Amino acid sequence: MQKIKKIAVLGASGNMGSLSGGIFAQAGIQCVYFARSVEKAQAGIDAAVGQARSDVLRDVITPRSYDDLEKEIPDCDWIFEGLAEDMNIKNEFFSRIEKVRKKGSIVSTVSSGLSIRAMAEGRDPDFQAHFMGTHFYNPPGKLLANELIFHPNVSKDVRKFVTKFCDEVLGRANIVTHDVPAFAGNRIGFQFLNEAALYAEKYGVEKIDYLLGPYTGRAMPPLATIDLVGLDVHKAIVENVYANVKDERIETYKMPAYMHTMIERGMLGRKARGAGGFFNRDENKNKTVLDISTLSFKPAEKYKLDWVEKVKGLIYDGLYSAAVDIIKNEPGEEAAIVRHFILGYVSYSYARIGEVTPLEDGIHGIDRVMSSGFSWMPASGWVQLLGGGEETAKLMVKEKLPVPAELTKNEKKNKCQIPDISRFLIGR
Amino acid sequence: MGKKVYILGGYQTDFARNWSKEGKGLNALMMEAMDGAFAATSIKPKDVDTIHVGNFAGGLYTMQGHMGAMAVNNSEDLRGKPTSRHEAACASGAIATLMARAEIEAGIYDLAMIVGVEMMKSVDSKRGGDFLGTAAWYEKEAKGVEFPFPKLFGKLGNLYEELYGLKYEHLAEISAINYENARKNPKAQTRDWYMSKEHACSTGQYNMAVGGIIRITDCSQVTDGAASIFLASEKFAEKYAKKHGLKLKNLPYIQGWGHATAPILFDDKAMEARLAQSKSSGKKVYALPHTRKAITDAYKRAGIKGAKDLDAVETHDCFTTSEYAAIEHFGLAAPGEAWKAIEKGDIRIGGKLPFNPSGGLIGAGHPVGATGARQLLDAYKQVTGSAGDYQVKNAKRVATLNIGGSATTNVVHIIGVD
Repeated sequence: MQKIKKIAVLGASGNMGSLSGGIFAQAGIQCVYFARSVEKAQAGIDAAVGQARSDVLRDVITPRSYDDLEKEIPDCDWIFEGLAEDMNIKNEFFSRIEKVRKKGSIVSTVSSGLSIRAMAEGRDPDFQAHFMGTHFYNPPGKLLANELIFHPNVSKDVRKFVTKFCDEVLGRANIVTHDVPAFAGNRIGFQFLNEAALYAEKYGVEKIDYLLGPYTGRAMPPLATIDLVGLDVHKAIVENVYANVKDERIETYKMPAYMHTMIERGMLGRKARGAGGFFNRDENKNKTVLDISTLSFKPAEKYKLDWVEKVKGLIYDGLYSAAVDIIKNEPGEEAAIVRHFILGYVSYSYARIGEVTPLEDGIHGIDRVMSSGFSWMPASGWVQLLGGGEETAKLMVKEKLPVPAELTKNEKKNKCQIPDISRFLIGR
Repeated sequence: MGKKVYILGGYQTDFARNWSKEGKGLNALMMEAMDGAFAATSIKPKDVDTIHVGNFAGGLYTMQGHMGAMAVNNSEDLRGKPTSRHEAACASGAIATLMARAEIEAGIYDLAMIVGVEMMKSVDSKRGGDFLGTAAWYEKEAKGVEFPFPKLFGKLGNLYEELYGLKYEHLAEISAINYENARKNPKAQTRDWYMSKEHACSTGQYNMAVGGIIRITDCSQVTDGAASIFLASEKFAEKYAKKHGLKLKNLPYIQGWGHATAPILFDDKAMEARLAQSKSSGKKVYALPHTRKAITDAYKRAGIKGAKDLDAVETHDCFTTSEYAAIEHFGLAAPGEAWKAIEKGDIRIGGKLPFNPSGGLIGAGHPVGATGARQLLDAYKQVTGSAGDYQVKNAKRVATLNIGGSATTNVVHIIGVD
């Protein structure tokens, strides 16, 4: 078996580079952190140390500037690329690496959705035969998902080795994913987020985030999630999918016009600080909410519905099926929205089997990435809670959503394998 | 031993979960453990004759007392059943089990459900540390003391230093092994945490000293969790085996138990050990004689000679010093020589007598009132070959040691199949 003793991390001053590299360092593997300067690489080491909560990592990570790339790369068994999501930058560095890397060394990118095939285009056969996406989720110390997107020229043996290594040595939850825009997790997750942004135009930001809050099987409501990710990152992901994909719900992937204006105005979410995103803080640090019609902020109204609060109370007491019964049967427009989104997510997930993940994996790869990458209730978990495939299909028909064949065809094979799904139903 | 009392399995919640963060209360935690136990064993609520809940401080952490009654919330079929709650600090789960066993042994009931439960992340660590102080003699050992328990178990380290000498690297090894084992346990609190012996040996902001020799890596962590197991009479076990196509002789049962209480003040315990040593004319003494008594009583009841007749131990490593002591008190090493067993790798999975294949309290987590039940569930898993990646090969007899306070209440169970 191949030995991984030393790795290079490119883009080690960035969040994903430093923290992903830290996962290798935690396994005791020697890491060389590359950044524009040694000081910046050092800052990446500090981040990895903070993630592991151990200064011991400093013993295995060396900071280097890109000036030393040619000197260090020949010794490395794995080159982990965590540069900006820009093909030109990635190409520039892959070209330098290609010239000096040792044959058989692994080259992987942490890209969250750029084409793996395109990234390795024109590279030599050994480079292509060892090139893949290893898409860790942020922060990798807490979220274990790892989408593995192999270049078509990667041999079965290398695939097997990398998969085993990521599982056993790095402790990742692997999801083998096809080389499609946004891969599996972001493809499914951002459909939900973008559709929530579309609905917010009609129903308001506060109401949508309240209705689709943590009690619907997610750690954070959707618009607050976009704020956390950044509207610019959201735009890059949804536009890449919208331009390159045709599927049954692609229109829900079109970013609403008001978000373009927000981005122009620098309202990028949390990272924009004062400019805000869907949410902001006033001078007294009180939470304010975006009024989409004016793109200005107003105080939160603390919108509440009795039936939603009842659902949360039932979850608090562990009475999950009673909580789900209300979600299934509650009359009114708001409950219909909640059902539309939950069932829409399930429908979109099952429809992607075979497209974003191998057909033989059934729903399980998609379930793994949504639970361990997004901290969302896996789609098959919802099917189980809603009363099975047939029952879920009926509800989809009622909500005028497409019913994917996989939902009812392979119910036994697609039975939820994610343990403790109740942890995704949050009683607040 | 009287009549045979069988253990039919059960369930533990994922100890990595933070129930407050999930917006869930104590009821949800208890119900999941009970639902899981019913599902894992195919036992129906209507079959349960009696319920014993082990809980340390629900009244403090969640303002919820009367925990026996809470268990009835699980099913309408449990209404009308006798319930009770047992408290003996960190040994609450084992005490609940002792009571359930006694009822079955006495022929009063045929099937007892034990639920150990503790929700601790409902308060901040400082407040929680104060609550834990009630497991000591609060007014004398804990009142106004920040994090009293690491300090008390630091004193156990001091006692060892005084009697026999103690090297920190041996405590670090105990911690590293527990974390390593926990990585194999899908329900362990720390299964995804970073740990290495180097880290355990390090000092600084990420591994501060919190009580004498005790550093953060020497401590079990604040945990939310519940575990539930079933104890059954031979009559019920026979019926159960038949129904599930099993052989009665393959069902684990409680082969022995021991229960001994030491003086609650740690200084009194230390005084006893010093006095015993001064009178021993050079013979090495046990630092915790009452812990030793609980163990030897269990050996006697099980009809076994000692550690060599065991295949694994799930011990109470609330701190590394308590596991260090347990290695000797179980008899794997002579008093003062636990370090030899540690250095030889005897306590590792695959070693002479694996300690805490589950990861123990340090690795798997320590939801105080649930720990005793969790240990027994792990013992059940080991002797039925169902412990998955942390299975000890061919384990037939496993001991558990659950202690309350600073080794004050000591309860040992020996679970085995013939």
